Amino acid sequence: MDVVIVGSGPSAAAVCLAFKDRRDVTLTVLDLGAELESERVASRATLASQEPGSFDAAALAHLSTPPRPETPGALPRKQIYGSNFPFDDLGQLRGVRANNDANDLVVSGAYGGFSNTWGAQVMPYSTGTFRTWPLTRDDLEPHYRAILAHIPYSGESDDLEETFPLLGTPDHLPKVSERTQRVLDRYTAHRIDVRRHGVVAGHARLALRGSKCRLCGLCMTGCPYELIYSASQTFDELRREGRITYHAGVRVHRVENTGGGTRVLATSVNGGGTQEFKADKVFLCAGAIGTTRIVAGSLGLHDTTITLEESAQFVMPFVSLRPVKHLTQDGEFTLNQFNLFVSFDDDGKDASLVHCYPYNNIMKESLPSIAAHRALAPFTERGLRHLTVGLGYLPSWASPKPEIRLGGVPRDGELPDITVSTRENPRTAQMLSLVTQRLRRAGRALDLFPIPTQTTLSGAAKSYHFGGSFPHAADSPTERSSDLLGRVDGLPNVHLVDASVFPTVPATTFTLTIMANAHRIATRVADGVGL
Amino acid sequence: MTRSVVAVTGATGYLGSLFMSAFVDADYDVVALTRREPSATPHVSWRAYELGATPPRDTFEGVDVLVHAAWDLGNSDAQESWARNVGGSRRLLDAAREAGVARVVFVSSMSAYFGTRQTYGISKLAVERTVLDGHGVVVRPGLVYGDNAGGMAGTLTKIASLPVWPKFGRSALFLAHSDDVATGMVSLVENYDDFAGRVVGFAHAERVDLTTILASFAPHGKRHPTVPVPASLVMSALRLVEATGASLPFRSDSLLGLVRATDVLPGQDLLANANIRFRPLAP
Ligand SMILES: Cc1cc2nc3c(=O)[nH]c(=O)nc-3n(C[C@H](O)[C@H](O)[C@H](O)COP(=O)(O)OP(=O)(O)OC[C@H]3O[C@@H](n4cnc5c(N)ncnc54)[C@H](O)[C@@H]3O)c2cc1C
Ligand code: SF4
Repeated sequence: MDVVIVGSGPSAAAVCLAFKDRRDVTLTVLDLGAELESERVASRATLASQEPGSFDAAALAHLSTPPRPETPGALPRKQIYGSNFPFDDLGQLRGVRANNDANDLVVSGAYGGFSNTWGAQVMPYSTGTFRTWPLTRDDLEPHYRAILAHIPYSGESDDLEETFPLLGTPDHLPKVSERTQRVLDRYTAHRIDVRRHGVVAGHARLALRGSKCRLCGLCMTGCPYELIYSASQTFDELRREGRITYHAGVRVHRVENTGGGTRVLATSVNGGGTQEFKADKVFLCAGAIGTTRIVAGSLGLHDTTITLEESAQFVMPFVSLRPVKHLTQDGEFTLNQFNLFVSFDDDGKDASLVHCYPYNNIMKESLPSIAAHRALAPFTERGLRHLTVGLGYLPSWASPKPEIRLGGVPRDGELPDITVSTRENPRTAQMLSLVTQRLRRAGRALDLFPIPTQTTLSGAAKSYHFGGSFPHAADSPTERSSDLLGRVDGLPNVHLVDASVFPTVPATTFTLTIMANAHRIATRVADGVGL
Repeated sequence: MTRSVVAVTGATGYLGSLFMSAFVDADYDVVALTRREPSATPHVSWRAYELGATPPRDTFEGVDVLVHAAWDLGNSDAQESWARNVGGSRRLLDAAREAGVARVVFVSSMSAYFGTRQTYGISKLAVERTVLDGHGVVVRPGLVYGDNAGGMAGTLTKIASLPVWPKFGRSALFLAHSDDVATGMVSLVENYDDFAGRVVGFAHAERVDLTTILASFAPHGKRHPTVPVPASLVMSALRLVEATGASLPFRSDSLLGLVRATDVLPGQDLLANANIRFRPLAP
């Protein structure tokens, strides 16, 4: 069987893993393939050969200058190794517009996709989430396990396991920060008081080689030792083994049913005409919006609106009465360290998750410039000792709905134009206020209080937890829904395997389920289901 | 015919011993998983097990069903109690799953409903999640009464003999006769597949107010005069005494269970299908 895979992000990696040992299957990967600039690769190699205390200053500055926010106090766009390459436009962003504060950088063109720059949070979805899916968590469990056995995985056994089982044997997390330790200790001591408010606290679970961590504090700007998982690591491995044929610089814009198989049409990002690839099976892994554009163009959908599901993101700063002793990222790891899970039912469906970050240099950079002024610096520093930044998520049914307005018939070789906007959801403010209220009530026990009026909701598609354009449905697929193998009507050999097929997007971590579901679909196809 | 084997934790407790006899009567072999060896009974064997500890390797050898009824209320240290009961239950459930025990029933409590404020309920609820995720069954018995009733029913029987009865607002409880709970458990295990992954309330469907309960438990079935008691005041008093480390026959947490009892009885459709019934409280 000849299989073509579009993209090299986490969903594509999961598909390749499912086929890896099926020697009768050829795997061809078509990708835009932007990579970290070579001079930054060199600086990273320099740091990787050194110990944190003796990093080369120039290389360090080259890789870890924190990004500046567009407006003071706002969350800056995450840079990785000082680069924006995961967001670079290789033509996949041409024709993407955004209304108001919606995000227009919605499709990655990178080798490894957005996992180059992600927060590496990995937890399965709760069983309750699947109440509205035509799948159960049991259907995904072997695939969660397969993925977690392949990627680096660190976490701890704690109360979050009740709803989010570990599904494997994680490596330990690196030593957590003073604040994290205090909050988790207080949780253990006052667990019932906290849980009375529907709040459970626990360690982060990360796609990270925890025991190899050297506590250099650079996680948020890129790990010099590459201990944080990126799908590119899986592809590097598969390429080294000669298991896949990888084509970079290829922009797919259309897939066509040829009866027995599928034709994939693409253009070279460096100019040049249309390229054509033939396959028995095609897996679309271009990220939810990237895939949506390819499918919409292929099905001839235009001048119409597709509503997505997004788990909206909010930034929630917390203050603690007791300050931490040291304000530095040196000697710490700076990814998310603990989670606050706020639930409104007993099986983890209606819930919000807040990832809490210890101090890192980006926080200082994000302060309004007046606060960063030299005269105010001591006060700022004192304030920061009390601060924890939470990045929270609401489930898609309580979040504003991103909409994608498709333009007219696309020009030859182009993806359809889209405009990203958002439709308000009356449940958003209500749920956000309930989440805040519960966290405030649990605040005393944890010594961690949400700062009143300071919670801000991010714009449409800024959470990067979106999907649902062609949701899995138990019935026969239509042009707007997919069957359980991710196939829409009219494209019987094309499998959508990223979040475009998610019926909902809960507030809990996203990408592990994308990978598990992609692995499930590919495994079934490899087993001959749906041939 | 080989007899199925059911392991029962907490088998020497009030509910556990009811289950044990009911299973023996229904032709099961019972393995009592307890700290101390129970008195010798035909078809009952013993394997040493203490809630909180890692179950010994052979705990589930040959076992078809686990009924987990053990719970340690004796520990006043919240952290230790959580570690023993919740952590211990999780270890037990993991061991049962690893040993391939196909049917697992967890004996929870009516106080384990979403939004409960009771420590006991919150702890039971945490274990329920693990059980349900593993497709086990959660049984939430109501106030279990009958001969030699223990727990809350035992305490209420004592209160019923007082000349004046307390009245806490409009507190009302679901009740279940001990015989029905015991036979209901056997039927549930026999119809396990219909219940897997579900929560069922083991009680008669009508809630009964406290005064009616006390009248039914009173020696001659007569009602005594009642005095309204502000629950919050008693609660504070109990908490104050508890803070000194003294152990009381009636805890503030149990009082919370009386005054803020659930009004939801889950899984009644499943019980009706399996013909599991609970008699109403006799006047
Ligand atoms: C800053 C940030 C932090 C995040 N943190 C987390 C987190 O902590 N936990 C979590 O679960 N998720 C997180 N996410 C989300 C996560 O990164 C994505 O869910 C995940 O990368 C999606 O994987 P994917 O394979 O579906 O698509 P992507 O990662 O978007 O990959 C798409 C791939 O398709 C290729 N491609 C796109 N269009 C075309 C085309 N037309 N032709 C050919 N190739 C194409 C691209 O080159 C790329 O390789 C984060 C995202 C961001 C941006
Ligand atoms: S602290 Fe972060 S960046 Fe540094 S070694 Fe550990 S994971 Fe890598």
